[in-house]
Amino acid sequence: MTPETLHSTFEASLNRLETSDPSRTLRSEAMALFNKFGYPTRKHENWRYTDLKPIVKAELDPTPKSLTTNQIKQSNRLLDTSLLDDGAARLVLVDGELLPNAQTLDGIQGLTILGHEETWQRISELQSVELFQRHPLAALNTAFASSGILIKLSENTNIEQPLHLIFTSTQAANKAIQPRILIDIGAGSKLTIVQHFVGEDSVANWTNLVTQITQSKESHLTIYRFQEYGNEQFHTELLDAKIAQDAKLKLGYVDLGGKLVRNDVQVDLAEPGAACEIFGVFLATQGQHVDNHTRIDHTAPQTTSREAFRGIIGERGRGVFNGKVVVHRGAQGTDAQQSSDNLLLSERGEIDTKPELEIYTDDVKCAHGATVGELDAEQLFYIRSRGVDEDTAKGLLTFAFANDVLRRIEVPEVRERVASCVAGQLPDYENWGGLL
Amino acid sequence: MEKSIILQIKGLHAQVEDRAILNGLDLKVSSGEVHAIMGPNGSGKSTLAQILAGRDNYEVTSGTIEFCGKDLFSLSTEERAREGLFLAFQYPVEIPGVNNAYLLKAALNAQRAANDQPQVDAFEFTKLIKDKMELMQMSSDFLNRSVNEGFSGGEKKRNEILQMLTLEPRLAVLDETDSGLDVDALKVVASGINSLRDSKRAIILVTHYERLLELVVPDHVHVLSEGCIVKSGDRELARTLDKQGYDWVRKEAANL
Repeated sequence: MTPETLHSTFEASLNRLETSDPSRTLRSEAMALFNKFGYPTRKHENWRYTDLKPIVKAELDPTPKSLTTNQIKQSNRLLDTSLLDDGAARLVLVDGELLPNAQTLDGIQGLTILGHEETWQRISELQSVELFQRHPLAALNTAFASSGILIKLSENTNIEQPLHLIFTSTQAANKAIQPRILIDIGAGSKLTIVQHFVGEDSVANWTNLVTQITQSKESHLTIYRFQEYGNEQFHTELLDAKIAQDAKLKLGYVDLGGKLVRNDVQVDLAEPGAACEIFGVFLATQGQHVDNHTRIDHTAPQTTSREAFRGIIGERGRGVFNGKVVVHRGAQGTDAQQSSDNLLLSERGEIDTKPELEIYTDDVKCAHGATVGELDAEQLFYIRSRGVDEDTAKGLLTFAFANDVLRRIEVPEVRERVASCVAGQLPDYENWGGLL
Repeated sequence: MEKSIILQIKGLHAQVEDRAILNGLDLKVSSGEVHAIMGPNGSGKSTLAQILAGRDNYEVTSGTIEFCGKDLFSLSTEERAREGLFLAFQYPVEIPGVNNAYLLKAALNAQRAANDQPQVDAFEFTKLIKDKMELMQMSSDFLNRSVNEGFSGGEKKRNEILQMLTLEPRLAVLDETDSGLDVDALKVVASGINSLRDSKRAIILVTHYERLLELVVPDHVHVLSEGCIVKSGDRELARTLDKQGYDWVRKEAANL
């Protein structure tokens, strides 16, 4: 989808909006910015290892359209693999469009899902222009976003039941899907969101998601994000979060599918006591490219961050991890830990990992580390010495490498489903999977 | 019942990076016997244990080992285990992310498959190890923990014995299983070992200290020094070593 195609389609899609539509001005501003910057290229430091050319070259339709029955049918089939049971509170986006009547939020006090008008109002309030300058793909999302969703949790509300957010990708046409999610968590409130990306095997859509999170003080938000597309999909996303005093954000990223995946996460620990925990597991094999790019800003004192990513790279797979932690002036008492551990299963795989630490204040505790390796010989020998054959032992250890991080998922049914999906993608699963 | 030879080692020489560690070791272990191998640090005790299990860090330069009539060196590590050879590790390995239950079940089923026996399902498995866990004083939540991760020294050793009891090996080699145990844990471990003792099996206890041998009484005691067995005797030899140390054995050996 070349910049020219985007430019010409943009005018048409803007003309379809009502003249009073609250999104018009912002969309035009965003499009102008995207036109100015264009797609990020490998000349940009943040994109050195990830080339968006396959997306630029792909013929994709960026225009939001209403859903057809066929799309809904396909989507319903995909929903059978849902991570939570049918009774769970859920929102379904089919190719970026909110599926009508699929919301089951009855009886959840304090949680509201707001539509187009409120979402765009909020996007304007967030003054996202600075964000677009740093992330041209976020500007593109703003220009073309279809149904925006604002998830709002009022103050002092503890929602035990996880909210399920499902993104299905169907075979409608090769589409550029631009979903926009905003999440506002009121002071002292608590919510868990389970985000699930699922698509038909041969679908070659591009999803370009932007999620903006605002957490008020003493709130807790957890997002488990599980991506299991077929291997032809493109996926780029930016999650931008601002965390207030004593609030905590926990993020878990698991990527199994996709052809080209780029996850950007940026978290601003903006007030004292703010904390975040980010963990991730990704698999890249057979021409898959998975890039996790995180940036954590410790802007206030006594803020804490914990980050642990694990990559498993197989034959012709490519993994990238770039984790930047910035401790700003005045953020004394910062406590930051980051690790990136990677398992290379094939000589024909590649991993580029780059932890970065910038510290502009004294009295901080920061640690980071990156490893790239093979399976541990001691562990392998120990398992084999119990009678387990070498391939099975290797399978178990590869799974263990991922599972050690997946244990952080606190919703048991999600943890088990995700763990078994990860296991199913690992070498020789048929030999050892029965043990789990 | 007629005794059969479980293990026969003849003239074993082994080295690691050009440094000779075993220098012509001979040992014969028959069914129903418990052998203790004692010796100072660096005498080659652990090397012997690791070679028996098939660790490839050591190079065997000459000698033969027969295990139940088979050439041990023709078997891979996992084949040895399935044939009934078990090594209790001196330092059990931590494996974060693999449940104890997974490993135990995998080990048991691998052995069963090799012997054309049906696989155990979850129900059978639980039934099978319940008594063994009680004997080792382990609670059931222990099965859902990762293998040896965050275990105390005593828990790790008890876990080794639990694995041994589950697999019921023909030959158990226990490499300093008594080290790092307090008196109570030592008793638990010893009762586990004793429960495996019968006329069909053999046990080799590799140890520094005599205290385990008061609880698991050996039929034969051997002193390993500089890669050879320099003296053999019965439990009284272990008691003498405990009182007098190893120097006199070494001197005696040097004068031969």
